[in-house]
Amino acid sequence: MSGSGVSCPGCGSSNIVDDDLYSQAQMVCVDCGSVVSEGVLAHDPNGGSDVSYSWTTAVTRKPCVNLVKGLQRVKAICRILRVHKEIEDLSQAYYKQAYQHQSFIKVSLQKKEVLAGCCVLVSCRLLNWPITMGTMSCLLDADPMAVGVVYQEMVKVLSIEAPIVNVTDVMEAHSQEYKISPLHVPEQLAENSKDLAKRAVALVELAADTWIVTGRKPIPIMMAAIYLAWQSLKPSKQRLKFTLDRFCQIAKVNKHKAALKRITEMREVLCKLGREIPWLRAEVTPDNVARQVDDILKNRYALLRRALRTHEDALQAEDSLTEEAASSRASEPVEHTPTASAVGLCGLNSERTQQPGDGNESPCKAPELQSDSQETQESVPNWGKRVLFAPPCVTHPKRRRAGQPGLQDVTGDEEISDSEIDSYIRTPREAREFALTQKILSLSESEKS
Amino acid sequence: MQVCSSLPGNRSWIRWLFLMDESALERYFDDSIANDSCLSLEEELGVQSPAPAPEDPSFLSGKAGPSREPGEELDLSFLPDELSTQEEPGCHDDTGVTSLMMTSFHIKMIFCEDASETQTAALDVSQDSGIIPDYNSQDSTAAADPQQGVSLLGVGASPFCPMTPMTPMTPMTPVTERSGIIPQLQNIVSTVNLGCPLDLKFIALQARNAEYNPKRFAAVIMRIREPRTTALIFSSGKMVCTGAKSEEQSRLAARKYARVVQKLGFPARFLDFKIQNMVASCDVCFPIRLEGLVLTHQQFSSYEPELFPGLIYRMVKPRIVLLIFVSGKVVLTGAKERAEIYEAFENIYPILRGFRKQ
Repeated sequence: MSGSGVSCPGCGSSNIVDDDLYSQAQMVCVDCGSVVSEGVLAHDPNGGSDVSYSWTTAVTRKPCVNLVKGLQRVKAICRILRVHKEIEDLSQAYYKQAYQHQSFIKVSLQKKEVLAGCCVLVSCRLLNWPITMGTMSCLLDADPMAVGVVYQEMVKVLSIEAPIVNVTDVMEAHSQEYKISPLHVPEQLAENSKDLAKRAVALVELAADTWIVTGRKPIPIMMAAIYLAWQSLKPSKQRLKFTLDRFCQIAKVNKHKAALKRITEMREVLCKLGREIPWLRAEVTPDNVARQVDDILKNRYALLRRALRTHEDALQAEDSLTEEAASSRASEPVEHTPTASAVGLCGLNSERTQQPGDGNESPCKAPELQSDSQETQESVPNWGKRVLFAPPCVTHPKRRRAGQPGLQDVTGDEEISDSEIDSYIRTPREAREFALTQKILSLSESEKS
Repeated sequence: MQVCSSLPGNRSWIRWLFLMDESALERYFDDSIANDSCLSLEEELGVQSPAPAPEDPSFLSGKAGPSREPGEELDLSFLPDELSTQEEPGCHDDTGVTSLMMTSFHIKMIFCEDASETQTAALDVSQDSGIIPDYNSQDSTAAADPQQGVSLLGVGASPFCPMTPMTPMTPMTPVTERSGIIPQLQNIVSTVNLGCPLDLKFIALQARNAEYNPKRFAAVIMRIREPRTTALIFSSGKMVCTGAKSEEQSRLAARKYARVVQKLGFPARFLDFKIQNMVASCDVCFPIRLEGLVLTHQQFSSYEPELFPGLIYRMVKPRIVLLIFVSGKVVLTGAKERAEIYEAFENIYPILRGFRKQ
């Protein structure tokens, strides 16, 4: 079209036409033939200046090879664990979603495999089919910490709120691993897996009530529970002599070092309850408590109540003694009679709650704490010792070196003495010697290598 | 509560002193011991905090002046409205004194009839004023004006009820149940800009307390003994100071590092000092069922015993991360101000308490 308002630079005429004869659109001056302007060779229809290959050429996008492989791996893991279809579908969906997120698209293949395992893990948790991270890391043959890192990242990216794994739920599945049935081991050492699991679950529940489980890794606890259950189901001399090491050997399981500590802790708890059994004459020690485990577990709530009551009475007696010694603590007797009745109440109420152990010892502690502020100053680190059941990290606290008192009354604007600053600076001679030594050292290093 | 008849009839004052400084208070009391009528309750106001921290957001109830003389004005302007009208039903003092609850600041109540001493009593409403959440405006007026703002008794011969030494001071009906536990600061991370490029090799050579390994990390690591801290000094002139136990100590330490760098010959300045992170810890002294806590507060908590024994609680307001352990120990981190830590702890404490009774 002419009359576009542009004048030709060659001759100055305004007679410019669009010439679409050739593949390139041009504006040409009619009078002198010079090209005024030309269009871009490739007009892209989308408004951008470059044309992408995938937009114009690829008809269907082929999915990424690794994504496909990863999904297959997810399926494989699900089949190994024998979970149901829903979990498989859900984990595949999560994997697809997570894979394409920017925090996972460029990670190593190993990490992507771990991601596959984590997707299965989270789907299992959400759909009430719990497995532990330890199990998953064994399956993937990966470091549990690495699995943990990827798991937490994935949960953040996908914004999932997965419920935690209850140890008792996982117990049954875990006990399947132990090859301790009559098919695998001789008669005296064999145990029906159902009975074993049932007793181990009861032991774990007891441990949970008495603060052994919270905050700890589940697998050593389960191992300890199974070991103790196995010993107590047939407490023969032979079985009692069996160490955890040997037990793991015959059951063909990898031993966890922490399980030894859990065994000790559980035995202690069982002893504390075993002492309350009214018909026992002999003393209950950690070594022979295995024989009483059956009775203890059958009557554990009643024994718990008795133990707590005995403990309370013992504390009262102790306190009244110290009170006679120290007459200034006049408030104590007033505090203790209500606590005694509080314990009685707690004891009755608590067995109806899910966690009887918890309800009992904590409120008993509370009035004692509030009564004597001066006492708490010293006994703050020892409140665990005054309670019958407390988390082991409280009853056996780590020894820490006393913190330096440090500066008090610092305003931040004090004068800084020159001598102090000079103490941090080398003398010239020192600096020279240091430089020399460094040079010698680096020379000898380079000689070595 | 008996009326203290030994007090001379004229001018009894209650003063609310907001003091950070225990030792300054000691000195003051030593001075005022001479005036026998001053009853200091400093010892009696012992709270259940495990460490002798000067700042004590303890929950104290103050016995105000008697409302016997209706004609007298009780200046309660520094108290929030609901408190001034609060009347304790089970008030155990026989003069019918209204109890007032003051929270979140270290209050030393001194009954002293010598007016001149009110000026000397250092009203150091120090840096700790940040921890006063609700009463800030009123406090500052009260703080600024010890004589007027705080005089709960008017001028005149009013039989004044001093406090009987109670151990400890427990509120009658608390407005909010404060914990009485103060988190102790364990670490402060701060940054400062020294304002000039630095030759790290030279610093590492000339300074005794410096280490520099460019292959491992691109900064000089310098340490000083008092306050015991570590600094990372970068070639751009920026510096990170860690390990101090209070904001002031962090600032002092940063200044010392800057001074060292100055002495080494660089034109170091002290620009944009900023506290980046504060870490505190405390102990609630009862065990906590972490499994239950994660069930009820799932959107804030993350508890993976296989990875970490503690529960990670991300509080939204204030934005603080708390690590809660089964032993009852709590670690708070992510704060830029001390007040955030105290607020976060006061938010979590009722949750933990309510939890424990279940």
